Amino acid sequence: MHIPDGYLSMEVCAATTAAGAAAAVCALRRTRSELARPRVPAAALTGAFIFAAQMLNFPIAGGTSGHFLGSALAAILFGPWAAAAIMTAVLIIQAVLFHDGGITALGANILCTAVIGSFVGHGSYRAALRLMKGRLRAAASFAAAWVSIVAAACGVALLLALSGAAPLPAVLGAMVGWHALIGIGEGLITTAAVLCLTERGVSRAIREDALRGGAPA
Amino acid sequence: MSGGRESGGERGEYRLTGNRRKWIVLAVLTLAAAGLLSPWASDLPDGLERVAGDLGFIDRETAVHSFSPMPDYEVPGIRGEAARTGLAGLIGSGVLGAVLWCALRALAKKER
Repeated sequence: MHIPDGYLSMEVCAATTAAGAAAAVCALRRTRSELARPRVPAAALTGAFIFAAQMLNFPIAGGTSGHFLGSALAAILFGPWAAAAIMTAVLIIQAVLFHDGGITALGANILCTAVIGSFVGHGSYRAALRLMKGRLRAAASFAAAWVSIVAAACGVALLLALSGAAPLPAVLGAMVGWHALIGIGEGLITTAAVLCLTERGVSRAIREDALRGGAPA
Repeated sequence: MSGGRESGGERGEYRLTGNRRKWIVLAVLTLAAAGLLSPWASDLPDGLERVAGDLGFIDRETAVHSFSPMPDYEVPGIRGEAARTGLAGLIGSGVLGAVLWCALRALAKKER
């Protein structure tokens, strides 16, 4: 779901470039305070994984393919701001080195996949966990990933409609339809990765208890 | 949004695994996906391209720049499509990992 150059009108390009740049700066600032240093290698590796996984288009139906997005995965593992920063880096490298996604559409791609994808993914993951009282993390991850990629597709559809590429109902319906299918793959990959890469933080709870009450006599 | 520093864990219950082996597996998967699997990815149009074709705005695409060293995820000047794509994938993942590592390390400077 990388918007190439030319799909968007000049006005939409200008507005989304400004907004995308502001969002990227904001994401970097918030990452500074929210990403603890010991997590940096994991975050960098996750970014590399997302790039690699995005190359693997899988056929879905009717002569169409889809690929992993990764915003929800990054947001569940590292929080929405760090995820937005990671996804922005992925998009910049893809646009500059590989000509995937336009330069004039970079801001739009940042807004849709890095910002909307990460925040919707993070928000729906937490909402789903709260709804299910912390059980069924697999279902929460799957749902978050699915909602995240469909929300990003809605963002792209809205920008295309604003640009006069196609009427909103048609482009919104088509984008949501295809990405609802692609979202199944997104959900499976995200769920597997989240279940593998997170664990119950028992040791930290024990450490906190020890700090609170276990001062040496 | 979660409060501050523990934004990755759910109320302190879940957090990133400290199991090095799992991260090594992720690194191996990354290299395998980028280097070995990427040449066999589907060439069919993706969701957005399909919609652009169906709704008739795919012709709007223009090339604003042509300075990408590896357009369409292929390293030019190498024989064999699989090698071109696989190498582009490895380069891309490597560059991305390195850029993120340096940038995030510089950002997350303060020890916690």
